Amino acid sequence: MTRQPQTPSIDFTALTLKDALDLAILIEEEARDRYEELSAQLVLHRTPGAAAFFSKMVRIEELHRKQLLEERTKAFGDQPSAVRREMIFDIEAPDYDEARAEMTTRQALETALRSEEKAHRFFVEVLSHVQNPEVKKLFEELRDEEVEHQQLVKAELAKLPPGDPLQGVDVGDGPAPQ
Amino acid sequence: MTAPAVFEAKHYKSELKPIWCPGCGDFGVLQGLYRALSAVGRPPHEVAFISGIGCSSRIPGYTTAYGFNTVHGRSLPIAQGVKLANPDLLVVVAGGDGDGFSIGGGHVAHAVRRNIDLTYLVMDNQVYGLTKGQLSPTSPKGLETVTSPLGSLEDPINPLLYMLAYGAGFVAQATPADMPGMTALIEEAIRYPGFSFVNIQSPCVTFGEEDQQLKAHKTKMKTLASLKHDSSNQLAALDLARAYGTELYTGVFYRNPNPPPTYEALVKLRQAEQSKKARPHHQLLEAYLQK
Repeated sequence: MTRQPQTPSIDFTALTLKDALDLAILIEEEARDRYEELSAQLVLHRTPGAAAFFSKMVRIEELHRKQLLEERTKAFGDQPSAVRREMIFDIEAPDYDEARAEMTTRQALETALRSEEKAHRFFVEVLSHVQNPEVKKLFEELRDEEVEHQQLVKAELAKLPPGDPLQGVDVGDGPAPQ
Repeated sequence: MTAPAVFEAKHYKSELKPIWCPGCGDFGVLQGLYRALSAVGRPPHEVAFISGIGCSSRIPGYTTAYGFNTVHGRSLPIAQGVKLANPDLLVVVAGGDGDGFSIGGGHVAHAVRRNIDLTYLVMDNQVYGLTKGQLSPTSPKGLETVTSPLGSLEDPINPLLYMLAYGAGFVAQATPADMPGMTALIEEAIRYPGFSFVNIQSPCVTFGEEDQQLKAHKTKMKTLASLKHDSSNQLAALDLARAYGTELYTGVFYRNPNPPPTYEALVKLRQAEQSKKARPHHQLLEAYLQK
């Protein structure tokens, strides 16, 4: 007998505050891990500027994760979680195809901005399904924080010199040895 | 060390960092694979990854499961041997379109017809990426590469038709542009009791064409579910598979609703039958002496 895929999805209509906090922690964790991966890829492919920026994003996402974890622990101790990392896909984490060898710092910042916008769209979308008022309040806060993060990234982008010396230049990059 | 009760995606991830080009489609495939394995729930020591040569064939090294990065085009024969030697292992075969359909093309028919319980994941990027961009068996006709500077004159192989025509019981196509969809398909392929094949359109970011990249996939892809395709209908699957190279259909093309026994199950039955006829151990010497 064959079996169908069994990874459960999240029912936002029935989400409790504990599970919502766990979900928010997982979203930050996923973003942290992805920035870490992208940073490592870019170090390997001789792109130090963008790699350094992605490392900075690792620290920021980790900070957000820790803040949420503190809140969760304070309210619910070590009660088991009903949500798993496998239930979420690239909510705040940049897509893998955002990275490019020799991408500029500006392009790295633009990647972060698109990721914050993506996370904002996620909270806007799920808020229409959430029924628990505590979860609604948490997600509204998180949605608004994503807007603040976008503003921070935009401010950083504004500090960069105008133009992009590598824009449109084909910088072919072959696989590295291992 | 106590084994965790539930295996999470991270338990299948090794310490080795992938060296693929940033932006490569294989990063998403690997992530989907970890998640699919977590959903299936078999511990890493019960899983074996067998691959050939190429960018995507590096996958065994990036997992905590058993792995064998073999020789070019020979992943399927070796995987069959591994599975027959230890039928309890979950065996996943990974490789590229060149490895699978060019140098290893002759092995595919035999792996399919034996119906050994393997899951074959081909990361189809339509180019030889590792060796810097030569024409591959799935490259579109007219593609200009270092080995076809004026554009290729050959039609590409159609991996989906190939597998369906050989009689594979499970044939699907996915793209990492749809991570949840791809992960579910890999999981379903692993769970299928018999030979299963997933053609994953995993773009080469360095040598691939613009219209083969994930951004293009996101606008181009159509799920077979949205077309109301009945995956038990083999003829409908063959018809849809003809669109390979022009349309990007994702989902299960064909899934045999009544999977036949696997080769290893038949071997087990044969062994049991033969065992009944076999003399007890203590009579073996007598039989020899009588001769």
